[in-house]
Amino acid sequence: MTLSPSAQLQLTESGELRHFLTVDGLPRPLLERIIDTANSFVVVGNQEVKKVPLLRGKTVVNLFFENSTRTRSTFELAAKRLSADVLNLDIKTSATSKGESLLDTLRNLRAMHSDMFVVRHSQSGAPHFIAEQVTPNVAIINAGDGRHAHPTQAMLDMLTIHRHKGAFDQLKVAIVGDILHSRVARDQVHALATLGCKDIRLIGPNTLLPAEAASLGVTVYTDMDMGLEEVDVIIMLRLQTERMDSAFLPSASEYYQVYGLNRQRLAKAKPDAIVMHPGPINRGIEIESEVADGSQSLILDQVGYGIAIRMAVMSMAMSGQMQERQAAEVI
Amino acid sequence: MSLLIRQARVLDTQQNLDKVLDVYIADGKIAAMGDKLQQDAQHTLNAEGKLLVPGLTDLLGYLRQPGNAQKGTIESETKAAASAGFTTILPSPDTQPATDTTAVMELVQDRAEAAGFCDVACVAALTQGLESKHLSNIVGLSKAGAIAFSNAGRDITSNTILMRSYEYAATFGAKIFIQAQDAALANGHMHEGALATRLGLNGIPVIAETLSISRHLQFIEHTGVSAHFQQISSDKGVELIRDAKARGLDITADVDLAHLCYTEEQIQGYASQYHVQPPLRSEADRQALLAGVADGTLDAIVSAHQPHEAAAKCAPFADTAPGMAMYDTFMPLLLSLEGKADLTLSQLIDAVTTGATEAANLESPIIEEGAPAYLCLIDPDMQWQLNQDTQQSLGANQSLIDSTLTGRTVLTLRGGVVTWIN
Repeated sequence: MTLSPSAQLQLTESGELRHFLTVDGLPRPLLERIIDTANSFVVVGNQEVKKVPLLRGKTVVNLFFENSTRTRSTFELAAKRLSADVLNLDIKTSATSKGESLLDTLRNLRAMHSDMFVVRHSQSGAPHFIAEQVTPNVAIINAGDGRHAHPTQAMLDMLTIHRHKGAFDQLKVAIVGDILHSRVARDQVHALATLGCKDIRLIGPNTLLPAEAASLGVTVYTDMDMGLEEVDVIIMLRLQTERMDSAFLPSASEYYQVYGLNRQRLAKAKPDAIVMHPGPINRGIEIESEVADGSQSLILDQVGYGIAIRMAVMSMAMSGQMQERQAAEVI
Repeated sequence: MSLLIRQARVLDTQQNLDKVLDVYIADGKIAAMGDKLQQDAQHTLNAEGKLLVPGLTDLLGYLRQPGNAQKGTIESETKAAASAGFTTILPSPDTQPATDTTAVMELVQDRAEAAGFCDVACVAALTQGLESKHLSNIVGLSKAGAIAFSNAGRDITSNTILMRSYEYAATFGAKIFIQAQDAALANGHMHEGALATRLGLNGIPVIAETLSISRHLQFIEHTGVSAHFQQISSDKGVELIRDAKARGLDITADVDLAHLCYTEEQIQGYASQYHVQPPLRSEADRQALLAGVADGTLDAIVSAHQPHEAAAKCAPFADTAPGMAMYDTFMPLLLSLEGKADLTLSQLIDAVTTGATEAANLESPIIEEGAPAYLCLIDPDMQWQLNQDTQQSLGANQSLIDSTLTGRTVLTLRGGVVTWIN
């Protein structure tokens, strides 16, 4: 089997993770191992002493070119629970210094002998670019790039589904909302398909669906009631309010009327369907409060699983990097 | 200097010439042609198995000066063009400052003449500073040698200004070159399709091109201006040109070589070398472009050579500068298209010689006795390495760097002067 270019970049020769840039192209056993490893870390969060020494002596740099306090905090917490030293850098990109300044920033950081960069960037493919420029020896974890990928968010959603629904083969999963601009949705689709889910549905208006969306291996619905029919899992996406300014949508209220998840719509799904959302939620725009806070909602559980998933991915990527370093020393 | 080229396959499409001949060049001219010439030349070249064609004409190349000498200079890039077999180049007016005054035009022409590698026929900016607000001095620039006017890659969004500029150009018989892309819809970084969706890059839909072509066609029909479309990139774009020609409109069109050779698939893994404008499109589009060259809908193949310094391509994909350096790979890539969509070698050569000159109303180099020796000798079988030592362009954005290529221009003559020899 030939690996896709992104898979080649992410895996060591023996197939271990060394960067985590996108779920696209990663093999099923690896995704299952991420879920299994994360499952073991969920327990760590419940212990009195919440630390494990897997990243002791390692330096993790949170490299955020785009603000995101929530995501950065969960990565920081995950790194600290793995006993790593953590450095947070918020770097605002200016229009005049793009490109070169990124490369210069990387060169400076490389000189500090960091072991791992957690990267958030507004441009699709930026972590990919950084991985190509910085390797060997620094693991790159994508914390969200443009509208391309947000693999740790997608995998925490898989962990959530796995813990509450078990195997993926028989599940019907609907992803609802602004698919076009969503880096999460793309990786969710790749993860679900790789893990064996055969019925993946994208629901939204044509203005918020990407070109040739069906090519991702999904069924596209513009009618939410039809799309939710008998599903086991509903993943709601956050709607950025600036979408109303560029004619993607007329108004938040009309969006809620057509694509908001309320109790009536939820009733179309299976009675034991679960409701997820990457947060932060817009009550009354994507989702009715009664649903968000209801018994089928797992929105708060997802936050806790997020730390476990990030611990899993960081420890696996660091172990892949260490194996490569040792192999290089032997040669 | 005198030179005898022996037993080359001489291919000149404007006179349906395709024959193995000896060609004798003396005093800058083709002095004699025939079988087993007996002339006593200073140099004799055995050209068996090689192809002798008129010097090539490029309707779109970026020479980068004035303004961007870090990407390439008129000297370096005309030299690179000569190494591909070009003897005439129409540089893009997208310089800094734009080529909108006789002063800039003279600078470009003087530098090119001093370098001595290629004739430069200037395409001047249609609007001042390419800003789509005020017309350039079309009459004055024409008198100074501008052979056409173009707004380069900048869309003239105002219908009023577009109509007036075409009306004014038509008054004086000036030819318009058009790169048809709707600015608002082309606000992306690759072809809109499944791969753009996967990579999360902003897509440029085909309608960005077709809408713009249709709009320009309306104004061409309304004003009667003579126009040439550049860098058609899509199946539907070719179709619009084909229909307009069938309707009898006075238009010609070209396609750039990269769009005949590559598709969006090259961008897998965010390969910024393949970030170009208009974007590389689907395989179906590529096939339609090849068929468009084969049936003559597309009159010319251009290089759209755009050299860049390494830093311009070293960033996340959307932050990189679009464009590819093409001159070093032009000949091997062109030759690789023989047989694709039933394209013959003769059709391919026509698209870079007579097809191109006729579209720009330029005099075509011709291979006949008494004509100035504008010639390009090609070894279609030569294997060679493109690397930093062999590349001629300053551009660091070569698509096939460090690979082995088949086919190479071995000799270029401009008015009998050797501008390239290998």
